[in-house]
Amino acid sequence: MDLNKALKPGIRTKIVNFFHENQSSIDTPRGVAAWIDEDRGKVKKALEELTSCNILIAHRSTSTTGYSYTRDPKLISNIVKLLKKRPA
Amino acid sequence: MEEIRGQNTYQIELFERLRRSVSLKKAEECFGCIIKPAFWWIIDKPNPKTKEIEDLLKQSYHSIKKIFTDKSGECLNTLAETLKKSAEHKKLLSFDCMEDFHGFVFPIAQGDKIYGYIGACYSRKEISSEALQIFPAFADTIVKEVQKEIELSKLYETLRPRAIALSTVHTVHRLISSTLDLGELLPRIARLSLQIMRAQRCSVKLVDSKRKLLLPKVTVDLRAKKIRLKKVKVGMWAPGKAFKYGRPVRARDYLATPLIDEDIIGVITLYDKIDKKPFTAFDQEIMSTMAEQAVIAIKNAQLYKEQERLTMGTIKALAKVLDTRAPGTYVPRVSSVKIAQCIGQEQMMDADSLKSLEYASVLHDAGEVFVPKAVLAKPTKLTGKEYKMVKAHPAAGVEIIKHIKALKGVTPIIMYHHENYDGSGYPKGLKKDQIPLGARIMAIVSAFEAMISKKPYRAAKSINEAVMEVSRNSGTQFDPKVVDSFLNVMRRKDIKDAVKRDQRESNYIR
Repeated sequence: MDLNKALKPGIRTKIVNFFHENQSSIDTPRGVAAWIDEDRGKVKKALEELTSCNILIAHRSTSTTGYSYTRDPKLISNIVKLLKKRPA
Repeated sequence: MEEIRGQNTYQIELFERLRRSVSLKKAEECFGCIIKPAFWWIIDKPNPKTKEIEDLLKQSYHSIKKIFTDKSGECLNTLAETLKKSAEHKKLLSFDCMEDFHGFVFPIAQGDKIYGYIGACYSRKEISSEALQIFPAFADTIVKEVQKEIELSKLYETLRPRAIALSTVHTVHRLISSTLDLGELLPRIARLSLQIMRAQRCSVKLVDSKRKLLLPKVTVDLRAKKIRLKKVKVGMWAPGKAFKYGRPVRARDYLATPLIDEDIIGVITLYDKIDKKPFTAFDQEIMSTMAEQAVIAIKNAQLYKEQERLTMGTIKALAKVLDTRAPGTYVPRVSSVKIAQCIGQEQMMDADSLKSLEYASVLHDAGEVFVPKAVLAKPTKLTGKEYKMVKAHPAAGVEIIKHIKALKGVTPIIMYHHENYDGSGYPKGLKKDQIPLGARIMAIVSAFEAMISKKPYRAAKSINEAVMEVSRNSGTQFDPKVVDSFLNVMRRKDIKDAVKRDQRESNYIR
């Protein structure tokens, strides 16, 4: 997985910053959109993209999907390095 | 600007923000034009010592490339005295010192408390009374602005994590209350708890009240490949203690939270945080809320399961009663129920539809109870009147179950399971997609079951012969897509074995 590509500046970086700062959080697209003050549709798309890169975990149910941060320490440490270089 | 550092956290933040304040810099520039001071300074202590004032002045002089000399101590005394007076009166005071230099001191205060001072020194021009009147208003506004900033940032720091945690709990509630299947629910609770607590291992244990044991239902461990599920006695280990005392049990590396309804129904235990930090009181608070949500979902799932068991029990009792009339006719083969379920799964039916299909497997021919036994067992061709009686059995079956609300989804399957794909069936002569999917599946399963059963008027077909017969009628009697699914299912060894087992066990005539 190319982390550089996955964390293109903009909405995806904002989402990853949010989950990195709040690693215990599990939230719906609506919730995440509210926390980072972005459009829900765009957030939903970005959340799915980040899930496909394993940066986020999707908890799916019939009524909604909750997203949370990866539990992989190695991936988290790589994300930290990249976020330091590249602010949201 | 030079400053003396204070100790108090609020003070430190207040003065750090003041030093960075753009408004204060602008005020200094603006007043600098009027009073022409050589330097501005901030003291972040209410009662600075003489040595600290001296250091400040030395640093301030150094900043303008001058050497501070105050052999008589006049300068220090003047400034110390002015600071004291300014604190006493809580107002701006000007002073004159040394060789005709001027300056002023403004106390930074909140209520009665003095935090420090802003001041200016080394002005060659006497400070005008207008400037002395205007500066306090400016400085006061700037200090208040900074104090508000601190208040807001404190609110943000305390409220935002709680709001995010609350949002998480709300999301978790939605995720766990969307399933009534205990087998799906408990692992989901474990995984979500792991995620919220950033822990390595989570186990959910439910109480076996008869044996006073906690039975392991699910354990998720991010590190282990193999997991051993252990029973825990009441009072033993963290889960046993949480159960015994009815409250969370927390230590550095574990957190056990009881699931409390009217009684304690189980315990969720988390072990070892990913970042190796200890479990905190805040974690305990969040897990207690999570446990409250989980217990509702678990109770609902248990009630639903009980309700399902009750419905199935009622249906089986009904089938037994009907079976006394024609033994072996209404109690279905286990394999038939399984075949119907597997076809339904292949056809992507949802859980409710699959449940209806299961109930229909038992009840689809219940209406035959109104058809005379002699007609059902007649080896020769039926008369018109007899055929009319047989054709009425689906509607009669619906009549029997129509008052049972839980069987609402079963009625279309019973009603139309004798419809043919080409429209030649009964009771309505529906064709293709007009026939509900459940009924199209049941048509195949009941025909297959009838073919492999021995009847008073004919011998049973072999499994292969029956499968071929179903296949031959694809597109006419049966839906070709459902026939494909049936053929896929019948290729499975477990299904073939189940059918053979049923054939061996059922010696009765169907």
